[in-house]
Amino acid sequence: MRIMTLTLAMALLGAAMFTIGEAAVKPGDAVLLPVPTDATICFRIWFKVGSQNDPSGKEGLANITAAMLTEASTKKNKYEQILDKLYPLAASYDAVTSVEMTVVYGRVHRDNLKEYYPLFVDAITAPAFEQADLDRIKSEVLNFLENTLRYSSDEELGKAVLYDDIFAGTPYGHITAGTIGSVKSITLDDVKEFYKKNFTRDNLVIGLGGGYQASLLTTLRKDLAGLPPGAPQPIPPPQPAHIEGFRVTIVEKDAPAAAISMGVPIDILRGSKDWYALAIANSWLGEHRNSSSHLYQVIRETRGLNYGDYSYIENYPRGGMLSKPPQNVCRRKQIFEIWIRPVPLETAHFAMRAALREYRRLVENGMTKAEFNLTKNFLKKYVLHYAPTTMERLGYALDDRFYGISGSHLAKFRSMMNTLTLADVNRAIKKHWHYGNMQIAVITKDAKALRDALVADSPSPIAYKTPKPASVLEEDKQIEAFPVKATPENVKIVEVKELFN
Amino acid sequence: MKQRWLYLAAALTMLGSGGVAKGIFPYKVDTRTLPNGLKVIMIPMSSPGLVAYYSVVRTGSRDEVEAGKSGFAHFFEHMMFRGTKKYPGSVYDSIVTSIGASANAFTSDDITAYHLNFAVEDLEKVIDIESDRFQNLDYSKEEFQTEAGAIYGEYRKNVTSPFAVLDEKMRDLAFDAHTYKHTTIGFERDIKAMPEGFEYSHSFFHRFYRPENVVLLIVGDIKPDAVMKLVAKYYGGWKKGYEAPNVVPEPPQMGERSADVSYQGKTLPIIDIAYKGDAFNPSNRTYVAAVMLGDLAFGSTSDLYKKLYIQEQRVDILDASIPMNRDMPLFEILARVKKEEDVPAVRDEVYNAIATFQSTAVDAKRLGDAKKRRKYAFLMNLDTPNKVAGGLAYTVAITGGMEAVNALYAEIDKLTPDDIMAAAKQYFSPERRSVVVLKGAGQ
Repeated sequence: MRIMTLTLAMALLGAAMFTIGEAAVKPGDAVLLPVPTDATICFRIWFKVGSQNDPSGKEGLANITAAMLTEASTKKNKYEQILDKLYPLAASYDAVTSVEMTVVYGRVHRDNLKEYYPLFVDAITAPAFEQADLDRIKSEVLNFLENTLRYSSDEELGKAVLYDDIFAGTPYGHITAGTIGSVKSITLDDVKEFYKKNFTRDNLVIGLGGGYQASLLTTLRKDLAGLPPGAPQPIPPPQPAHIEGFRVTIVEKDAPAAAISMGVPIDILRGSKDWYALAIANSWLGEHRNSSSHLYQVIRETRGLNYGDYSYIENYPRGGMLSKPPQNVCRRKQIFEIWIRPVPLETAHFAMRAALREYRRLVENGMTKAEFNLTKNFLKKYVLHYAPTTMERLGYALDDRFYGISGSHLAKFRSMMNTLTLADVNRAIKKHWHYGNMQIAVITKDAKALRDALVADSPSPIAYKTPKPASVLEEDKQIEAFPVKATPENVKIVEVKELFN
Repeated sequence: MKQRWLYLAAALTMLGSGGVAKGIFPYKVDTRTLPNGLKVIMIPMSSPGLVAYYSVVRTGSRDEVEAGKSGFAHFFEHMMFRGTKKYPGSVYDSIVTSIGASANAFTSDDITAYHLNFAVEDLEKVIDIESDRFQNLDYSKEEFQTEAGAIYGEYRKNVTSPFAVLDEKMRDLAFDAHTYKHTTIGFERDIKAMPEGFEYSHSFFHRFYRPENVVLLIVGDIKPDAVMKLVAKYYGGWKKGYEAPNVVPEPPQMGERSADVSYQGKTLPIIDIAYKGDAFNPSNRTYVAAVMLGDLAFGSTSDLYKKLYIQEQRVDILDASIPMNRDMPLFEILARVKKEEDVPAVRDEVYNAIATFQSTAVDAKRLGDAKKRRKYAFLMNLDTPNKVAGGLAYTVAITGGMEAVNALYAEIDKLTPDDIMAAAKQYFSPERRSVVVLKGAGQ
């Protein structure tokens, strides 16, 4: 048993084998995660640029520029030739752009490194920037905004609306894909200029992991030094407007069910003691895609209203697709978020109340000793599943650099579960969560009826098609009358076709 | 759907690469069977104290042979989390939580799989709770009916995707008799009626959740002898009693079928061209060739992909799915078309590409590249116990063991350009074809 624990700890500590550096990037800066037994080599090249750097009127430019590196021709190879060359290697590269980061990443078996490496480096250092590639990429982004996001997943739509509302007027105030109008306006010259200014040798951190030879880092540093110099002006963290009371945006559409997302900014980031304390409370309230989530138990397991109900203290894009947190989507400003998966239309008001009621109870009462013990023991082992692969651990190592964490966040997460007390957690809850102010996004039919009900704070009784225990029906009476009153000026109705224009 | 496509491709890759040569699979496989028929496949591998534990039930939506019961295998997957007398649902949940396990389940045409990833020190606890629910599941009528609400919620979540609407329509159109006619989540009318199926759910459990129909796949930091002692202790008393369902074979399709389907939101039009394929059989050379043909004719290095996606930019998705199934599935080609008026032309381009493969032998180097790709995709996806177990689960469900891994890859290795041509001729003919075009209602 002791040996096992030690082995686990060592696996996590592997992520700590990099230099803790200053906030500013030095040329050739690298985060290294050597794993000699790994037959593959992992690259993550992090550029300190994201959608917050999009020029006004050109929202979506960071995302499109990154795609023009990884999904387009280079000066040496047409895109078709790149696909041909990558094909037998079973390897690829891609980019992920979020508000503050763009990471070009790829993974290859060491047998194929020789063929892969020049393609990977060319994508970053020698993009061709051809009009045909831009047309193709823009058309895909536009289809995403005009059709996919508006119509094909109401839960993703609800989250996008929530973040846009909370961060309106700040550099975080638009989704990474941009808007329909801004994407249409993006030209090849915009892309070239953005690349030259932001994808520079002074604005990157090399992430390298797996079974690589030391000489690879030397070569990579030399090749990336060929990028243009300079770095963009730092952007201060966003200051979202204070939310007073319940502010609601109802998106009216012909929806088969109601999707609900709620959130409010918080002033805490990964790495501090309070963050880990709050992580325990949040895990108990709403661990992502896990039946241990209390919200899941109340809304899904007991009442069968939907497929799941979760909460977050860090942004969690693609939550419907992922079971563990993504890497390289760091932010200097986070929100506390509740995600209620689609519920029957007539139960939207009730489900919203049920979730807010549980949140309020936690804020006011704190956790019990039993809940605290169960959850900290759960997390201590559960975080082992966050990064089982070298690629994921390398992602976390870069994130550690972003947040300025000494050592490894995941190792710290585990050790904190041994040292935090119930009092620490309940103190963190009181300090960082305040019930009563909340931005809410609802995707539903008949928006006017919901608005009227919210403004009147009228009861929302629920009728089940199947029998329920008396204890549940008794609690329902409290939920249906739980006060969630919004003022008329704080409830906005928008039609789906008005979004992301 | 795109995700599904990718997943199937990954599963096939995993399956296809296992036996490229003796020794390519880097882990020793230890397979043993209890007297009651429960097969246990153990794969020790170096991992930092982690174990992946898959209970693979060889039953999926294929086995829903009774009218009005579509979606029941998936529903039953949910019910398995409702507990037993010894460990009621809330107790089961709290045990899983207390050991920090990552636990979930999934259902598809031919499989229902329950999987947990956890620290090896908790292995006995996991074997205890898993063996208990497979033998002693016990839930109330109220719990059963409440869970039906969660299923409907899952359906409502999915139905906003045009790909879900398309899949539902295509299956209904292409199949007459076989249960592949419905999706795994089931017809909406059957989901609505699920709360009435309490008695039926007991029969489902007693017929299918039996040791002869379940395979345990245990991968990671394990010692097989010690694992088997625990398995025998906890599963040894499980009684036999599997009753194979009477799945009606699909009669041969006699002619082309087509349909349109409307999606209530906005979307670019999507065309799905499906051919009646063949059941998974690694020694059927033509089937194996079809697996490769899907990639060669429609994958990212195909002439058609380059033409339609990169050069002419008339589609933003082009993909093929040649799945592995226990019975005859659909071999599908799917394209999302940027302009509605281009749909017939894109359809004809797909037909032309097939005609080319029917009349012209594929370039030998391309075929070699495709084989190499499979080999490396396989090797690169064996880095965690969960990936190994998850990748093998389908093979185990369809064939009952892992032997097919070697057989399939040996066959892939032998493929010649003539085999690819033979597969194009055998499967991709108009009389086996069904075509569905999906359009958004707002267009």
